[in-house]
Amino acid sequence: MRRRAALALAAAALVAARGAAAQGDPLARAFELERRGNDAAAVDAYRTALRAAPGELSALLGLERSLAPLNRGGELLPDLQLAMGANPKSSAVYGVALRYWGAQGQADSLRRIAERWAALEPGEETPYREWAAALAARRDRAGARTALLAGREKLGRPDALAAELAQLAAQEGDWPQSLREWLAAARRLPGYRASALSALRQAPEAQRPALLAQLGQDPSPVAKRFDAELRARWGDPLGGYERLQAALPAEPAQAVDVLRQFAEALRGQPGAPARAAMGRTLEAIAERTGGTQAARLRLDAVQAYLDGGDRASARRLLASVAGRSDVPPALSASASGLLLRLLVEEGRMDEAERRLADAGNTLTADERAEFTRRVALGWARQGQLDRAGQLVANDSSVEGLSLRGRLALFRGRVGAARTALGQAGPYAGSREDATARTALLALLQPIEADTLPALGAAFLALERGDTSAAVDGLDAVGRALPPAKGGAELRVLAGRLAAAQGRVEAAERILRAVPDSAAPAASAAALLELGRLYVLRGRTQDAVPLLEQLILQYPRSALVPQARRALDEARGAVPGT
Amino acid sequence: MQRRDFLTAGAAGVLAASPALRRLPGVVRAPWLLLPMDEAQAEHLKAYGVTFRAIARGTRCEWLLNYRGGSFLIPNDGAAARDAALAGVTVEPLDDGPVTQIRGVLQNGNMDAVPLEKAPKVAVYVPPNAAPWDDAVTMALDYAGIKFDKLWDVEVLRDGLRTYDWLHLHHEDFTGQFSKFYLNYAGAPWLAEMVQKNRDVARVLGYPNVPALKKAVARGIAGFVERGGFLFAMCTATETLDLALASEGVDIAASYADDTPMDPAANQKLDWSRALAFQGARLELSPTTPVFSDIDGHQVNSAERRQPLGSFTLFNFSAKIDPVATMLVQDHRQVIPDFYGLTTSFTRRTLKPNVTVLADEPGAPWVKYIHGERGQGTWTFFGGHDPEDPQHQIGDAPTDLALHPHSPGYRLILNNVLFPAAKKKELKT
Repeated sequence: MRRRAALALAAAALVAARGAAAQGDPLARAFELERRGNDAAAVDAYRTALRAAPGELSALLGLERSLAPLNRGGELLPDLQLAMGANPKSSAVYGVALRYWGAQGQADSLRRIAERWAALEPGEETPYREWAAALAARRDRAGARTALLAGREKLGRPDALAAELAQLAAQEGDWPQSLREWLAAARRLPGYRASALSALRQAPEAQRPALLAQLGQDPSPVAKRFDAELRARWGDPLGGYERLQAALPAEPAQAVDVLRQFAEALRGQPGAPARAAMGRTLEAIAERTGGTQAARLRLDAVQAYLDGGDRASARRLLASVAGRSDVPPALSASASGLLLRLLVEEGRMDEAERRLADAGNTLTADERAEFTRRVALGWARQGQLDRAGQLVANDSSVEGLSLRGRLALFRGRVGAARTALGQAGPYAGSREDATARTALLALLQPIEADTLPALGAAFLALERGDTSAAVDGLDAVGRALPPAKGGAELRVLAGRLAAAQGRVEAAERILRAVPDSAAPAASAAALLELGRLYVLRGRTQDAVPLLEQLILQYPRSALVPQARRALDEARGAVPGT
Repeated sequence: MQRRDFLTAGAAGVLAASPALRRLPGVVRAPWLLLPMDEAQAEHLKAYGVTFRAIARGTRCEWLLNYRGGSFLIPNDGAAARDAALAGVTVEPLDDGPVTQIRGVLQNGNMDAVPLEKAPKVAVYVPPNAAPWDDAVTMALDYAGIKFDKLWDVEVLRDGLRTYDWLHLHHEDFTGQFSKFYLNYAGAPWLAEMVQKNRDVARVLGYPNVPALKKAVARGIAGFVERGGFLFAMCTATETLDLALASEGVDIAASYADDTPMDPAANQKLDWSRALAFQGARLELSPTTPVFSDIDGHQVNSAERRQPLGSFTLFNFSAKIDPVATMLVQDHRQVIPDFYGLTTSFTRRTLKPNVTVLADEPGAPWVKYIHGERGQGTWTFFGGHDPEDPQHQIGDAPTDLALHPHSPGYRLILNNVLFPAAKKKELKT
């Protein structure tokens, strides 16, 4: 009797050992088959693994994954029931069960499983979250909401499952409710802030004022931060900053954290207000930061202020940087550059030149040359062409040649300008500068006269921002020159500038006078410019004949593809650009 | 094509492109313009517009089936050359000699010349609200410069289709369930507007609900085909038009559309003899699954059933025996990447036996492009939403066809617009 029992035990142990070996192999094989995309074979392999170990969670999950693409999800039930029997307290198995009964549309079974799971893990949100997710996957949003609210009630916390309810409300277009839930979620767990803002920023434009008003009535710091960051994302970055400032924590490290997150919200936002708000944010961070980092932040803030058109703030901050002894030399050079940019933009050339002289060894040779050119251009804008010329007389760099060419042009010395611009070539400087220089050279090349003071005055007016005077001057010079000898091209430029200014009648008058058989390139350009102007103004019936004329009369013009595009837009054949 | 032919064609193209050379007497006198539709064409889609407008001016054009991608031969009346130049369409001026040679080539191969004599009067069924999705046919017509009228339920039900030759349907749900958008877009202003407008029209026209209204519209459209109209439908309009026709007297709409649940025995009550293309399809009975039936092979909005996109292949037909089918598949590509729509494809199992399959995905249980007759007229169904936006999502920017001037998928749409212009006696299918 005892011997027989021992033999039986030995046999059982052997069977168990073989089972363990088999259990390892089919699972690995199943994973490999699934990885290769052979779902049908993977299903069989996972089933083999589950027969050996019904509670093996990896096999059950793999079976669920492999059945789905085969549209055979309904076959999971026997394996699932065995797994639940073998592993009655596994959350993951309950999760699979919820997805299964959800996919089968069996709401009662779904509820029963969720409640069994919740009873096993009282205080946990997961059973309700998964229950709702299974219903939401069936697009049963009402059922999903009921499940989440049931969970909230059972858990006894008014902020339980708030993030899920917020997303559900947004899907149903109930943005005020979504906002309330997101606030609750973020109050309980600050990590929800980013998700909340990412979701709320998509609220329809018409609903945004009401949402901001809703936030305005909530005195909590979380609501104030939501208010600030949503304003930043919805086109009112300065308003957002003001609200953020009022809600900053007293503790500096916390405040810096909040400000950095606000700066992230501003990053990539276009427009001067966003840059100005960035300047204020960086300055506020700098006030709470020490050492070199603070100086660097202040300079970044100055740059942002200048980009945002807030020169007063840029000046104030630069003065504070200049007065500090803890600023390293490299940052000091950057500060000098920014100050020079500011002074040139404000037309304070004497001071700019003095600052440049005082900068001494803080600037490298290249930096000094670049700042000198900026100062020279500043003098030129003020009409001090001699002084400007003296500053760059010894600058033999490509950029220096380019500037000397422009200075020559301002004086009306067309030949000298052509020479200098030609020597500078098409490659130096930024892409925009190189393109502008090449276009200018192309404009001057057909002009035969060596000196044209009126042309210089027109270009100088343009440099100074007096576009009206530039238009009149260029038009006048263009009229006086033969069309094929630069006259037509100058008038196209005049017409283009007038159009950009919104002086439609002037643009029409100038551009309509351009077409001339002796200047086909300029003629095509004038027709395209005028056609585009009319398309922009909604005068398509005026635009169409001009664009057709361009295509038919100048079929070899490089502008024909652009004319066809404009023609398509005028006719509504393609979406507007 | 022989290399010599190609060089000749290229030289002719250069002549056409140059106005200086065009002024030479030989070119001016060239009595014919060939619009090649193979790789030599710079603007495939606009070539249809140039041809359509020539026909509309009363010019007798010819569609050279299977000749260089389905080229067009137009008498050089001056206006056509101007039109082509404006549109950027490649033309090759030809004298009578080369045209005679072409006719010889047509005679000896699987090719034919189909006269195009009367520009069809085109109507597009478009809801009045601005839907947040584009309509491939409207865009193709706009891009090619083919004029069309827009009409909707009121016009269809007041017999407004009688004055048109060609009707296009696109993203319309003729089961009246608003494309089941309730499931994913509840609360969206455009959906609320769509629902309100449909309900207003149903009320004004005396129908109890939108599904009843749409069934009546579907009957009107089927009547248009019976009387000799040309129907072209894409996307969900294909599947739901037939479901609406087959479900006369059967409630197949979810309760959010007509306040009553779908008849649970609806599948058994459908009368497929009323439908144009399909039979034996099974309705999706769940109101929470954004699918209409198993007609569509791809089931794009059902995560469990969605099938991946492949590519579809156009069939070759005999140009002389089967000119209609041949016209509908004229293209410079035979294999075209597939694209999704609410209805992407049509399962082979659900096709009626008399349906002509124009394109399918080899080896797949679905087809892409089908054609058939009903009474005096014809219908053509093309699955998918936008041939150049395979994953089109609601709210996406409309496709800019200037970026796809050679689109082979859009060519299939425009084949349908031009084919009703073919002289009736030539139609043998």
